[in-house]
Amino acid sequence: MVIGILLALLGGTLVCLQNTFNANVKKQVSVWSTTMLVLALGFLASFAAGLAFEGTALFSFDADLWFWFSGVVGVGVVACVTQGVQSLGPSRAISLVMVSQIFFGLVWDSLGWFGLEQVPFTFQSFLGVLLISGGVLLFQLGPAIEEKARGQKQRTAARRTVKVNG
Amino acid sequence: MFNASHYLGHMSFLRLILSYTVGLTERCVKQLKGTLFALAGGFFLTFQSVANATISDQIGTWQAAAMTQLTGFVLAIIIVLTLRDRSYKDLGQVPKLYASGGALAAIVLFSNITAVHLMGVTLTIGIFLIAQLVAAIIIDKFGWFDMIKKNISRTQIIGVCLMILGVIVLKI
Repeated sequence: MVIGILLALLGGTLVCLQNTFNANVKKQVSVWSTTMLVLALGFLASFAAGLAFEGTALFSFDADLWFWFSGVVGVGVVACVTQGVQSLGPSRAISLVMVSQIFFGLVWDSLGWFGLEQVPFTFQSFLGVLLISGGVLLFQLGPAIEEKARGQKQRTAARRTVKVNG
Repeated sequence: MFNASHYLGHMSFLRLILSYTVGLTERCVKQLKGTLFALAGGFFLTFQSVANATISDQIGTWQAAAMTQLTGFVLAIIIVLTLRDRSYKDLGQVPKLYASGGALAAIVLFSNITAVHLMGVTLTIGIFLIAQLVAAIIIDKFGWFDMIKKNISRTQIIGVCLMILGVIVLKI
């Protein structure tokens, strides 16, 4: 349990670091060239780590046919998120992506699809996911709303000054 | 009462309303499209975690990580070739540190797969998101890695607290 939490914290931090680095790559090249580079290096690093930890045992595996198409999902992520950001802007799109992610996680855990261990759906887990979604939305959209509120206050203040002067 | 100029004015008023409605509809469609794509993106991200965990069950974690990325890479090459996208030629200008970010995916996938096995998808994603957002505000706060410096806002702190509360509720 504790190991799971620590690994998830490490993983999440690295996802952010990777997104930051990728944002800098995208300043020079297109989204798809970036994706191509990122996946190539990800493959090489995983391959090297596998060789280091398992030696030639890395090559003895029995894969189902669909395993060879699993990479399509990653490409689907890039395509959908890019389209979403183009239409909605980064903060609104990313907040929706994250909310959708956690809700589908709950659906998946509850249904136990794909040989995943089923975690029974409870009202409490729904409340947990609702709180996480609320937190994501506040995090992503809060700053803009705060800014707007501040702008409005300034404007009312300015109007007040005018009135006093008048 | 109803002279020609009045009538014409009426027409242009109608046309104005019409163009306004079309513009509004276009914007609505764009928003709807963006929303659907963003929701699908979230679905694919969760699907990816689950698929990697399932595949690793059968063939091992590093094999699963290497396989999904190799097949994704092949598909990305096909897309770049189909789009006649030549921008990869400028990859040399990207600072080495930023260009090597992809290698981090090995550790990300390993932690993701192991965490999903240990505590299920929902909890794994919840904690991943918290770590991701906290790291983002720290990077923005100090303006590291060529990011624009941004102060941490109060709503962001409340948002992260709400997420931590959510994870606790999920777990107890």
